[in-house]
Amino acid sequence: MSSLLSGQLLFAALATGGLYALVAFGLNLIYGTLRLLNVAHGEIVMLGAYAAYWAMTMMGGAPLFALPLAALLLGAFGFALYGGLFRLALSRPALMKRIEGNSLLLFFGVSIILQNAVSLVFSASPRANKADDALIAFADIQTSQSRLMAVAITFLVCLSLAIALKTSWAGRAVRAMIQNRDAAAIVGIPLDRLQAWSFAIGFAVAGLAGALVSLFEQISPFMGFPYTVAAFVVIILGGLGNLAGSLAAGLLLGVVETFGVAATSANWRSILVWGIFILVMLLKPQGLFGGSRR
Amino acid sequence: MLARFSRALLVAAGLAGLGGTAMAQSAPPVKIGFSIAKTGLFAAAAPSQLTAYELWRDQVNAKGGLDVGGTKRRIEFVQYDDQSDPSQAVRIYEKLANDDKVDLLLAPWGTPHHFALAGVLERLKFPMVGNSAASSQLRDIKPGYIWFPTSAIPDRMATELATMMKGQGVKTAAVTGVQLPFSIEIRKFLMPALEKAGIKVVVSQEYPPDAKDLTAVLTQVRNAKPDAILSLSYPNDSVGFMTQAKELGVSAPFQFVLVGPTIDFFPKMFGPAADGLITIGHWSPHQKAWPRAKPFFDAYVAKFNARPDYLDTALAYMSCEILEQAVAKSGLDREKLRAAIAGGTFDTINGPVKFDGVQNAITPTAFLQIQKGEFHLVWPKTVATSDFQPRK
Repeated sequence: MSSLLSGQLLFAALATGGLYALVAFGLNLIYGTLRLLNVAHGEIVMLGAYAAYWAMTMMGGAPLFALPLAALLLGAFGFALYGGLFRLALSRPALMKRIEGNSLLLFFGVSIILQNAVSLVFSASPRANKADDALIAFADIQTSQSRLMAVAITFLVCLSLAIALKTSWAGRAVRAMIQNRDAAAIVGIPLDRLQAWSFAIGFAVAGLAGALVSLFEQISPFMGFPYTVAAFVVIILGGLGNLAGSLAAGLLLGVVETFGVAATSANWRSILVWGIFILVMLLKPQGLFGGSRR
Repeated sequence: MLARFSRALLVAAGLAGLGGTAMAQSAPPVKIGFSIAKTGLFAAAAPSQLTAYELWRDQVNAKGGLDVGGTKRRIEFVQYDDQSDPSQAVRIYEKLANDDKVDLLLAPWGTPHHFALAGVLERLKFPMVGNSAASSQLRDIKPGYIWFPTSAIPDRMATELATMMKGQGVKTAAVTGVQLPFSIEIRKFLMPALEKAGIKVVVSQEYPPDAKDLTAVLTQVRNAKPDAILSLSYPNDSVGFMTQAKELGVSAPFQFVLVGPTIDFFPKMFGPAADGLITIGHWSPHQKAWPRAKPFFDAYVAKFNARPDYLDTALAYMSCEILEQAVAKSGLDREKLRAAIAGGTFDTINGPVKFDGVQNAITPTAFLQIQKGEFHLVWPKTVATSDFQPRK
């Protein structure tokens, strides 16, 4: 049991949880602002991973070039998808009602198209970036340079997002929109512009997460679904539309997974994760950090 | 709606397969049908098989076509996506035989698909050489219309692995593994085999397929300091195991990783860190006694700019070679073909193959080791292309 106090486990929990938080943030942002459930979110992560693979392995770029590039490309894709698919629909209330109801199906279609498009371009065979960087050790923690960089970037991005939401005008406007769209529109918040940016930022963060994943794992066109599931668990734990809540819930999930497995055995991983999920659903259905939204 | 959509896709895929090779020749082409997992669970694994089929088809057609009892006929593929679903594969093979009236069959990807098809082939009286299936249960299949060239069968692998470890002086072992059918079956046979060989299992851990972080498991392994680490993993968690073991400094002189290392991306990803890994596989291009091995490897690399999967691609190509040689002798009559496959000895990239019932009676259960980025057979001695080298 003494091994439970090791820094190594804490570091692993932060690495896993940070990634969950990052993936979930984009999903929650788009749900919060547009009330659209993007089940293709894992595919955005996958696209980010392929963007990084392309930049690093095929073009020979460094990770510090590939990571922002992946975020930028996916951000642009989010912007374009919003402009091309959703702007028109959202401007017509009747059509919007239908899309809200069918957003699951719509995004399911998007997810299949993205999987097959990537499969056509890169083939379905798994790929991977080189993982032969140097190891480093500090305190009782041993890890690789790229893992440390990934954890640092994850936390930097999560922290900046949390601060921006709290303090900036745009952040406050987004939160206002999540609370009440109509009231937000009445007080002059430009819904359309914020929605476009929500798509762009949500996709960019997911793309960044995918690029980080590609540093350590194999990638394939079909890798996205588990990330969609993880993101859903996290945002439901943290509260639908509660952005800071989902960041915290992502970390919590990482801690539960890593320390839970260390305290019991790896067999218990899924039981622990889903057990907590069901427990929260029963005791606090609005999410751990969900206030009264409506 | 989804069903209609997938049916339309199926038809489109079939048309594309037909259109690609429509060439006017004096003798009509030979139609060879199969289903392949283009989508779903196995979609990332199935290309290793499809590339072997495509290479074989192109090679045979470049030589003027498939020798059908003396007449050369071009090969034409009829292929459908089975969405990684065995019941879908069953429907497709019935359609291939009854509607498309294909002349020959190649295998779909994966053990469940092979099992699902065995009865169908029996009923259709249509012989098919399997490839990417490995389970001790395949011996329970009634011999007749399906054969398995693989020698990587879990019970034999377990005893061979334990014998090999004992020979290397391994006294203690850590066994970690994912809860998926192949690794569970191997664990079932491996634990008693290790005990029988006098090897003490100091860590035994299983984790679910969706486990992302293996730190807790690997810390246990590191603290136990075993002589051997056996990772009964699939590609996804093999990568997780490797990256995290490297970060945590977990290593042993004898290190085994089940599925993953033979796939093209794996040695590229880990470079020198993959050196010394042991994995399953009974084929290597370095075996000089198999004159077809190296030319196949070179042709594959030239065509796809990637290395073949040392297990699945080699097996898929072997199944094509066996079919080709049997058809040259028997023609397309199904009963004659069945007799030719069941009774013949075939010259493959993996050396001679002969079937006893459903199983390959010649190729021994073997293990590969990555040495300076190359895959060498290190066990058993009869086929070894290099000596075992302890991992640094």
